[in-house]
Amino acid sequence: MIVDARVYLGDSLYGRSHTADALFAQIERLAIDLAVAVPAKPHDYHLGPANDAVAAAARRTPQRLRWLCRVDPWQGAAAVAEARRGMEELGAAGLYLDPWEENFQVNDSIVYPLIEEARRCGKPVLLNAGHVRVSHPTQVRDLASRFPDVQFVASNGGQINISGILQAEARRMLEACPNVCIETAGTYRQDYLEEIATEVGVDRVLFASGSPHYDQEFELARVALAKLGDDLKARLWSGNALAVYAPDHRPSW
Amino acid sequence: MIIDSHTHVDRVGWIDPPETIIGLMDEAEIEQAVIMTYGDAPDVEGALEYIAEATVKYAGRLIGYARLNPWAGERALRLLEESMESYGFKGLKLHPAGNFSHPGSPETVELIRLAATYAAPTLFHCGDEEFTLPLQVAAAAAACPQATIILGHCGGYFHVQDAIRVAEQHPNVILETSAMPYPQLIREAVARIGAERVIYASDGPGCPPAIEVHKVKLARLTPDEEDAIFHGNIRRILGAVRTGEAKR
Repeated sequence: MIVDARVYLGDSLYGRSHTADALFAQIERLAIDLAVAVPAKPHDYHLGPANDAVAAAARRTPQRLRWLCRVDPWQGAAAVAEARRGMEELGAAGLYLDPWEENFQVNDSIVYPLIEEARRCGKPVLLNAGHVRVSHPTQVRDLASRFPDVQFVASNGGQINISGILQAEARRMLEACPNVCIETAGTYRQDYLEEIATEVGVDRVLFASGSPHYDQEFELARVALAKLGDDLKARLWSGNALAVYAPDHRPSW
Repeated sequence: MIIDSHTHVDRVGWIDPPETIIGLMDEAEIEQAVIMTYGDAPDVEGALEYIAEATVKYAGRLIGYARLNPWAGERALRLLEESMESYGFKGLKLHPAGNFSHPGSPETVELIRLAATYAAPTLFHCGDEEFTLPLQVAAAAAACPQATIILGHCGGYFHVQDAIRVAEQHPNVILETSAMPYPQLIREAVARIGAERVIYASDGPGCPPAIEVHKVKLARLTPDEEDAIFHGNIRRILGAVRTGEAKR
């Protein structure tokens, strides 16, 4: 079983977009069983209708699609209300925060009420991580340390750097914060992913593509060609993502 | 036929003996690879000798580049000469983020110009960090129009469009595919500057050559374009290197 733990759905302000039909056709072609969708940033900047659209797609095909509610912390109480609506009324599996596209630092105090809301709902929080000005591993660590009872997922391996210079900091974050997992999408150095899975924790790495920003077919290769045993790969392909986003589908290990 | 234009061998820091990359080359059916250390000579003692030993041990499969710190000035120039004339290296590697040297600095330009006297290319780490941005490496390309300048990683995660623009503006610039995660932008680069100016590389062993080959194939190029990118272009570039002939 393969779960893609992050894809974007909807017409994106930034030009790379999936319609629901196109996404389903692609995951069918690539033998992906379940995808976790987050709304792309819409052209009108209004995340509420974008959440509605992704929630509707997930309701139509719950066996193939889960979704996360996207909110902008700069919207204050309105963001908290939208997070509550998404998780309690629309069936979101968690929250999605994008400090890169919504322009906030991930450990800013404006984020705290949203994390408290996720904690109240017992849901995980996916962070668009690794952007050095707004979601550096130290900033993710600062946030996650303040909420040790909330499950976080850091996208992009928790570090975006093509020298590998951020890998050590991301690993320090993961070692300090057992409540953080990382995704595989776009990660520089596949041996970093292997190292985290084998040395930090088998439950700490989730396959995700970040499609359509990243190429879903190429991102599959990171796990397919990883030098990991089949049992461990199974955790990356689906087990870890199901545990975080779809515990009702969690297999027995 | 595949030649990997950017891989690493080292015995300090990230420890990757030559056998590691050879194994990965075999796995990906890669005939030859360009190797360099992760650290700069002369800062890392014995770095060039380690590469030279690997190219001798795996003659015909591994091709050496000299990774140097431009701030070493005259010593770096002498080491480049020694690398070209005694070790048979074929190129110069610069990682400006590692040694805080601007690509357009006088020391850097002097090294590139010396490499160019051998017709040897200069491979830059070209990503998202300060001193490695494509528009910064463009200063070196402009100052050394006689040199072949390779933008390793093609601008990284956020600067691929800049890398393509720089290649459009400077005919002596070649784009290299390693580690950047966008197959569709490889296709765009080929469309905008031509397949003859794009080369395949992996940045292995950390980025496995097999995955990086898969990435280029996902760009869905023509067989002729793939041939050029996987081996034709780098063969042409390295075939022109006049090791041991040129003098400063």
